[in-house]
Amino acid sequence: MATINGSVTVLDPIGLHARPAGQIVKLVKESGLEVRIGKAGQELAKANSPLRMMALKAKTGEELTIEVDSDDEAVATALIAQVQDFLKG
Amino acid sequence: MLDSGTILTGMGVGLGSVAAEVFRVRPVASLPKAAKHSGDEALELESLKTAIAAVSLEMNDLAEKAGETSAEIFEALIMLLEDEELFETASAQISQGWNAGTAFINAVEEYADIFAGDTTFEERLNDIRDLARRVAASIAGISLGLDIPTTGRFVIVGEDFSPADTAQFTQAVVGVVTIQGGPTSHTAIICRSKSIPAVVSCQQAKDLVDGMQVLVDPVGDRVVVDGQESDITEALSFIAKSEDPIIPVRANIGSLEDAIAASASAAEGVGLFRTELLYLSAKTQPTKQSQATSYTEILKAAPAGPIVVRTIDAGSDKPVPFLDMGDEENPALGVRGFRLIENHRDFIVDQLESLEMAREQSGREVWVMAPMVSTYSEAIEFAALARESGNFKVGIMVETPSIVYQIAQLAGALDFISVGTNDLSQYLFAADRMNPSLGAMLNPWQPALLRALEQIAAVSQEAGVSSGVCGESASDPAFAVVLAGMGFQSVSSSRSQVGIVRQALSSVTKEQAKEVFEAALTGLDADQAKSAALAALAAISAK
Repeated sequence: MATINGSVTVLDPIGLHARPAGQIVKLVKESGLEVRIGKAGQELAKANSPLRMMALKAKTGEELTIEVDSDDEAVATALIAQVQDFLKG
Repeated sequence: MLDSGTILTGMGVGLGSVAAEVFRVRPVASLPKAAKHSGDEALELESLKTAIAAVSLEMNDLAEKAGETSAEIFEALIMLLEDEELFETASAQISQGWNAGTAFINAVEEYADIFAGDTTFEERLNDIRDLARRVAASIAGISLGLDIPTTGRFVIVGEDFSPADTAQFTQAVVGVVTIQGGPTSHTAIICRSKSIPAVVSCQQAKDLVDGMQVLVDPVGDRVVVDGQESDITEALSFIAKSEDPIIPVRANIGSLEDAIAASASAAEGVGLFRTELLYLSAKTQPTKQSQATSYTEILKAAPAGPIVVRTIDAGSDKPVPFLDMGDEENPALGVRGFRLIENHRDFIVDQLESLEMAREQSGREVWVMAPMVSTYSEAIEFAALARESGNFKVGIMVETPSIVYQIAQLAGALDFISVGTNDLSQYLFAADRMNPSLGAMLNPWQPALLRALEQIAAVSQEAGVSSGVCGESASDPAFAVVLAGMGFQSVSSSRSQVGIVRQALSSVTKEQAKEVFEAALTGLDADQAKSAALAALAAISAK
C-alpha cells in the first residue's frame, strides 16, 4: 500500500489538546486507515490514541508530519485537510 | 468555626450572587490501596474491560444529564477512557502483577509523567485521573456519587469538581464554592455557562460546614459567612460627565479582523498591536514585501489615532516556526521578546523596515516598541535600530522590574514606554502566569504592583517620556481610573472593554482619579486596595 505524506500546523491557541486529539482519533477510526502523526525528525505515533497524540505536546504554531497508508490519494488528502481543520481551534 | 461576617476571598465567576445554605460535598469513600492480583491475568483483564465499559456508560448518562454545553467534553473524556494505548499500558501493569484497578491508575500516572509541567494539559490531567478513580471504584464496587439534595437551595462546597461531578448538580444547586481550581477550571466554565454564581480558588472555604449560611458574591471575589443579599458588591456603574475621557483609551489588536472591529469602537488609535500572530502560522520567513502588505492593510483599517506596534514577542513557549528557538527549561525567563536580537537581528530589522513601508503607504502615525527589555543597553540598541529603519516614535515595553530603575537614564532616548502589567506582575512577584494556583499574586490590585506602577508613571514623567499601560489590567474600568490617577497618559484595553473603560474615564476628573488611586494605596492586600478604590469611586459618583 502507498503512503501519502502531508503536513499540518497546530493553530489552536492551546495546542493539540484533548478535544482535537479526540476528533482526530474518531476520524481515523471511522476511515479504517492507518494514520501516523508526529513532529518532523521524531518517531511518528499511530493516530489511534488521543493520549499518545496529546503526549506529542504540540504547541500553537508547530508543524506536524502526517502519514496516511492508502492507495486512494483523494481520500488521504481529504483526511489530512480534515485533520488540519480540527487543529484550527 | 467561622464567625458571622467572615469574608473568604477567592475568584468570582459570573455577575449574579446568591445567599443560601452550605452543602459540603463529602470526601468520597477511599479507594482500596494499590495491590497485586492473585495470579489470574485473564480475569483481571476481563474485569478491567468490564469496568471501563461501565464507566463509559456512566459518562454517557451524565453527558445526557449535563446537556449541550458539556456533551463535547464527555465525548472527549470517553475517548480518553477507551484509549487503546492506555489499555495496553494497563495490560502491561497487570502482567507485572498489579490488580486491574491499580493497573489502570498506574497507567494513567505513566501519562501524567509525560504531561507534568505542561499547564495546558495539567488541568485535563485531573479529569483523566478522575476517570481512573471511577474505573477503580467500579472494580471495587464503591459509589462515587455526590448525593446532592434534589430539593431546597444550596451552595455546594468542595475541593474542585470534575465534569462527572458537575453533571450531578441538581436544581437545588444555586451557588458553588471550590477550594482549588482556577478561573479556567471545569467548574468555572460550567458555572459560567449555567449562570450559577461561583467563587473558585477560595482556600478558606475548607472551614465551611453543612448548615452554615453564606453569600456567594462573585463581583466582590468573595464569600461572606451569614451574608445577606444586601451585602452584595454592586457592579459599578459609571456616568460620563464629560465627552472625552481624562486620558485616551486605545485598543489592543492582533490581526486585520481585530483592527476592523476596533475601528467600530470608540478607541483612539491602537495602544498594542501584537505582531506575532502574523508569523505563528508562517513556515518560512515572509518577505519584506509581504509583511509590508499585511501591515499596510491593518494600519489602514485601525481606528483613527496613533498605532503602537510591538515588535515580535516570541519565545520557546510561543515559538515562531521559521525562527529556530529550541526548548528551554524556563521559557518565561529565557530568550524571548527583544532578546531574539542576539540570533535574529535580520528578522527584527526586516520587521521594522516593513513597518516603515506600511507607514508610508498607509499615511498613519506609527509608534514602535520592543517587548521584554531589561537593560539600558537593550533599550538604546532598539531605539537606534528603530530610528535607522523608519520615521517612528520609539519606545519600549516595561515588563521587567530591572528596567524600571533605568527609565530615568533613558530620558531623551525614548519617546514613550508602555507597561505590560501581566508580565510585570509575573516578574515582580516571581509567580508563573501560567500556574492557576498563583492567580492571587497576579491580581493587579496587589499593593506592591500599585506602588511599582506609581513609580513607573512618576519616573517617566520626570524623564519626559510618555507613559501608558496596555496590560490586561487596563481593561478593568475601575483600575483604568487608578492608572490615570497615578499619572499614566493613556491606556489600551481589549476591544470589548474600550466603551466601558472610556465611560469610567469620562466619569471622573484627574483630581478625582488621583483620590481613587490614593484610596487604593491604603490597602494592605489586594482585596483591601480594590474595596477602598471602589468605595472612593462610589462616593464620587454619588456626588
